[in-house]
Amino acid sequence: MDACDVRSSPVRVQPFSFYKWAGQDVGRSCILVSISGKNVMLDCGMHMGYNDDRRFPDFSYITQSGRLTDFLDCVIISHFHLDHCGALPYFSEMVGYDGPIYMTHPTQAICPILLEDYRKIAVDKKGEANFFTSQMIKDCMKKVVAVHLHQTVQVDDELEIKAYYAGHVLGAAMFQIKVGSESVVYTGDYNMTPDRHLGAAWIDKCRPNLLITESTYATTIRDSKRCRERDFLKKVHETVERGGKVLIPVFALGRAQELCILLETFWERMNLKVPIYFSTGLTEKANHYYKLFITWTNQKIRKTFVQRNMFEFKHIKAFDRAFADNPGPMVVFATPGMLHAGQSLQIFRKWAGNEKNMVIMPGYCVQGTVGHKILSGQRKLEMEGRQVLEVKMQVEYMSFSAHADAKGIMQLVGQAEPESVLLVHGEAKKMEFLRQKIEQEFRVSCYMPANGETVTLPTSPSIPVGISLGLLKREMVQGLLPEAKKPRLLHGTLIMKDSSFRLVSSEQALKELGLAEHQLRFTCRVHLQDTRKEQETALRVYSHLKSTLKDHCVQHLPDGSVTVESILIQAAAHSEDPGTKVLLVSWTYQDEELGSFLTALLKNGLPQAPS
Amino acid sequence: MDPECSRLLPALCAVLTDPRQLVADDTCLEKLLDWFKTVMETESSLHLLQDHPCLMELLSHVLKPQDMSPRVLSFALRLVGIFAGQEDCFQYLQQGELLLGLFGETGALSWASWNVPSVRSGWIQGLCSLAHHPSALHFLADSGAVDTIFSLQGDPSLFVASAASQLLVHILALAMQGGASGSPISEAAAWPVCAQKIVNHMEESLHSKATPQVTQALNVLTTTFGRCHSPWTGVLWGRLSPPVACLFERDPIPAVHSLMDLLLSVARSPVLNVAACGLWEMLAQTLSRLSPAQAGPLALGTLKLQHCPQELRTQAFGVLLQPLACILKATTQAPGPPGLLDGSAGSLLTVDALLSSKSACVGLLCQTLAHLEELQMLPQCPCPWPQMPLLRATVTILRLCDGSADPSSSVGGRLCGTLGGCVRVQRAALDFLGTLSQGMSPLELVLEVFAALLKTLESPESSPTVLKKAFQATLRWLQNSHKTPNCSDLSPDALLFLGELFPILQKRLCSPCWEVRDSALEFLTHLIRHWGGQADFREALHSSEVPTLARQLLQDPESYVRASAVGAAGQLSSRGLQAAPTSPENRQAQQGLLMDLMHILSTDSEGFPRRAVLRVFTEWLRDGHADVIRDTEWFVATVLQAVSRDLDWEVRMQGLELAHVFLIQAMGQPSLHCPYTVGLPEATSPSPHPEFLQTLCRLPLFEFAFCALLDCDRPVAQKACDLLLFLRDKTAPCSGPQEAGDSPNSDSVEAVLQRWRDGELGQPLGDLEPEAMLAILRSLDLEGLQGKLAKSSDHVEKSPQSLLQDMLATVGILEENEADCY
Repeated sequence: MDACDVRSSPVRVQPFSFYKWAGQDVGRSCILVSISGKNVMLDCGMHMGYNDDRRFPDFSYITQSGRLTDFLDCVIISHFHLDHCGALPYFSEMVGYDGPIYMTHPTQAICPILLEDYRKIAVDKKGEANFFTSQMIKDCMKKVVAVHLHQTVQVDDELEIKAYYAGHVLGAAMFQIKVGSESVVYTGDYNMTPDRHLGAAWIDKCRPNLLITESTYATTIRDSKRCRERDFLKKVHETVERGGKVLIPVFALGRAQELCILLETFWERMNLKVPIYFSTGLTEKANHYYKLFITWTNQKIRKTFVQRNMFEFKHIKAFDRAFADNPGPMVVFATPGMLHAGQSLQIFRKWAGNEKNMVIMPGYCVQGTVGHKILSGQRKLEMEGRQVLEVKMQVEYMSFSAHADAKGIMQLVGQAEPESVLLVHGEAKKMEFLRQKIEQEFRVSCYMPANGETVTLPTSPSIPVGISLGLLKREMVQGLLPEAKKPRLLHGTLIMKDSSFRLVSSEQALKELGLAEHQLRFTCRVHLQDTRKEQETALRVYSHLKSTLKDHCVQHLPDGSVTVESILIQAAAHSEDPGTKVLLVSWTYQDEELGSFLTALLKNGLPQAPS
Repeated sequence: MDPECSRLLPALCAVLTDPRQLVADDTCLEKLLDWFKTVMETESSLHLLQDHPCLMELLSHVLKPQDMSPRVLSFALRLVGIFAGQEDCFQYLQQGELLLGLFGETGALSWASWNVPSVRSGWIQGLCSLAHHPSALHFLADSGAVDTIFSLQGDPSLFVASAASQLLVHILALAMQGGASGSPISEAAAWPVCAQKIVNHMEESLHSKATPQVTQALNVLTTTFGRCHSPWTGVLWGRLSPPVACLFERDPIPAVHSLMDLLLSVARSPVLNVAACGLWEMLAQTLSRLSPAQAGPLALGTLKLQHCPQELRTQAFGVLLQPLACILKATTQAPGPPGLLDGSAGSLLTVDALLSSKSACVGLLCQTLAHLEELQMLPQCPCPWPQMPLLRATVTILRLCDGSADPSSSVGGRLCGTLGGCVRVQRAALDFLGTLSQGMSPLELVLEVFAALLKTLESPESSPTVLKKAFQATLRWLQNSHKTPNCSDLSPDALLFLGELFPILQKRLCSPCWEVRDSALEFLTHLIRHWGGQADFREALHSSEVPTLARQLLQDPESYVRASAVGAAGQLSSRGLQAAPTSPENRQAQQGLLMDLMHILSTDSEGFPRRAVLRVFTEWLRDGHADVIRDTEWFVATVLQAVSRDLDWEVRMQGLELAHVFLIQAMGQPSLHCPYTVGLPEATSPSPHPEFLQTLCRLPLFEFAFCALLDCDRPVAQKACDLLLFLRDKTAPCSGPQEAGDSPNSDSVEAVLQRWRDGELGQPLGDLEPEAMLAILRSLDLEGLQGKLAKSSDHVEKSPQSLLQDMLATVGILEENEADCY
């Protein structure tokens, strides 16, 4: 495919992630974007709700012909959550994608921890043998190219990407994908309001052809964050005050750190002595990464970092399994977050029978997990061996999810000023509402393709053309200095060579291409009623033109023909009618305008000669 | 159906039909369908419907679609299809006109929600499940459903369009299966109505000027020939091959990829007489007409065919070789290398393709290298295989990429400019180069390969992914260079190469990229595993700083690298390669390593290095490593102590594996030599000596295993259970006649152990004597526990009862926040 074809192809976007027959669903993210002939896969998420091959996107839809590695130019991962990166080792090591994977440095550091965590749960809990291994996760991570914020990374000669801060979780980024003058921005998950440890998402006025934005909270204006936090602290406090234990099942990294900061600050302020534990042994690791990537946290944390590192908790200690049996109140953060295996489930089993205790679920739980069951109000749970566990402890749901709400999404669209918007990762009805709002407010097209649908956007590409120095100089000689803001008309010959365009003078073009020049002349016959001889007719033509065209050089040549610039006029007798003379008018393409004018003039006839 | 599920079903159906109720997420409905399918595998769907009127109510409710959400509609359409898949149930549903109301022209198509892709998917899926018997065929023919399927082939949703094509194949196969009881009907005109309709549609589509329509028809045909291997497919091809052949006469050829897939699918069909139907000619023409990049996949597919004529194979192989032949021609002095293709008509086209643009050049080369790599590993690999020119071409490509090639022509010069620093091509070339190591190559070329590999490994421009591939290719060449039967020794040339390689490896071990350090360590570990025992190799290794650097990487900031360093250091130590063999520090270094690894095991914050340590320790124990046999009891005790506190269940599980190896060796596996069993009973003794049991208590292996039985992570408990069963079986003979109190306790293992742990016998578990330990062991129902653990821990949660309960429980409490994923 040559460069011209590549550049004129439209932007195509195809979310193909979700399980084939599922409709709108907050599941895994995976979007295929084709921009100017380059194919980029955005995110490679998994669906935690399935245990079979439905958990991964069906990658066979990406291309029917050829290998994935040849088809895709790169894969971009927006952040470390499994619904955005969970299928990556499967895709790269089991399906066989061998090309580059781009993500930010924190995502590169944290992603393997979560993948490893998930792998262990899958193998531990579900006894799955056909799952990616630790070695596969490592091999996959070796294909990663880490990027910095606002760094323009050249994937190849034509494709470049750039990361912008997205908030949401540590290292989350929005990506701009650019080929020539065409660009797409993919937001991944983002948050437009700063929280306790992260800042707000930000993007410059990059005016992409298309903005692909998540729309989890397409119609929601989130209630005050402070209220939610106060509520959470109140519940924890009340429970420990009455001697109860609080279990907070979390995923090791992400919201857990936000809650830790919240509790740590509260404990400090209230001078509480009740122990807080973080159970997984990941505390140190998590804190290590938060310290390492301190520049990715919010301004407050960065400012106070030297005096006091927010992630060095005074009140939160590492948990030992034996502590669960200790009498008295305590707060424990335990993994995994959905109470479906491991330590959080074990602690839950021990504490569930006591009504003084409380479990706070800070996020979404998939069907089948204990977390899902207790959140839906089930209080008698059948465990292994027909044992029934009676849940007497209090169960609370407290959403700390960090997505942009409707206001935030509108704000981002306003910031980036895209030509069109595409909504993904949301529920159809809510997306429809937001779509209308965006179209009304910003006067741009807004799309919301269903899973598996392709959106094709026509673009008007601008094609860069190099101009030869000779041609420019020639223009300058004519006294026309170039001005940045004024478009100028420039004549020359366009040469496409080695996939690039150049405008040169026609002489230079002939020389470079080794071509000979051919003169092209247009000829036209004009019939005149004139009984005089041909020479006299020619003379009458000369006199007429001489008097009409004062600014042009009109000549009467010895052979009887008349010239006006390059235009040649000859008079001849008509073969059949002696009363008619035929004027042969011929001109070069450069004098097309004058040639046409003369022909029209002569067709009107010659002025009567004085008798 | 389970009585509990039968009890819950009416309530659930009521919820699903109630438009005011929000139904749980799509996964629940998917799982519900999975369950219905399972139920109907063993039960009559008609009985199921009759026994559960609520189901019929739910299905009938779909006829009032304005009330229902698209996700429930989609679910219901699929459910109806599953029920109607059994003929008697189909008749039953037909009587109620439900099927026509859903799948007929006035059915789902007229709903507002038809615009929702999941509803259209549900409709297709429903039909697909329904189409399993002759009555279904009549229904499809009469209801107009087939026409709708035709139109859905062009659906904007990729999934719907693909499913529609699949469904057409399914219907065609079903129709022909019914009609083809005897010999195939030689005239397609006499085929069943449904089949005729589909064939006519395909024929029309093949004549269409619109490429998407041609593609759809080709895809249906490809799937048909791939799936159906009955004689009627021959008649089908007889009828449709003329319009297919006509496609080749168009310029440009439409839907090239689909067309190629079809030709290959037909050629693979076991029932078609490919030679008689002119397919070989068609393939040959196609190969010669397509551009080099387009022809590559077809050429590979052709070479994979079993009964392909030699002439066509040669042509196809020529297509694959052409780009590499061009590379060689462009970079070699006249008259050019022998062996690969000489200048042919195709070569000009290929040169054009290579030079047209960078992306075209890179794409064509990567594709060609990958195809040849795949081909070489296949039984259909062409013979003779042009090993030498291919090797030369691949090495040349690597040189073009690293800028060291010497182009002898203007084309070569331009290739140099295009491929310089191209990571994609480098990766593909290195992969192929590794595969080429399997063939026999002359020494001179092997040396060229080694030189090219060294250049890549040495180059500061090489990216981490390229280096990884270069290490992998190097290993393969070392393994395969100058192979002699029964000899795994390195050849003299390989040894010379190693002399140059180790300094580079040394440099790579100090790379600022963790990926490079890790790949270098992995490579080193492989080298030692293969040739660690060979004197020349040892010498070459010792003359470098590699062992010292590998050891230093135990402190690497990156956990992956630490884990690989543990593996490498473990290998080095196993082979006595930690330091120079005669050096007095050798012994100290060895001992130091044991302590270093113990330190990593007890303090490293990441699981990978700790797991790597246990793998090394287990291997050391198994192989009788000197440091381990010096004081095996201390070794095992220290490891178990560290492991028992570990938060990573895989470390705890590997700790149990190590304990298992210890037991096997100590208690005597006849085939295993175990030097430290000197003080213990005879290696083949059927029962362990009491002193040994004392040792187990002291370690404390018993306590470790008992605690692991109650581990919150299932695999650990499972492994502990296996270990204790092994121990119990081995110790049974020495305990004399079993006493009444020793029979397995019916209480849960947890309860039994808890009683012991609480010191019921006046002593904590850790201080118990062997007899008491054995008593506990015998009192545990380990077989029962083993059975329980064999099931995944969420088997209860995965049950249909759990699903129904969850769906019912969720009703009414779905909130805005349900959308939270994280």
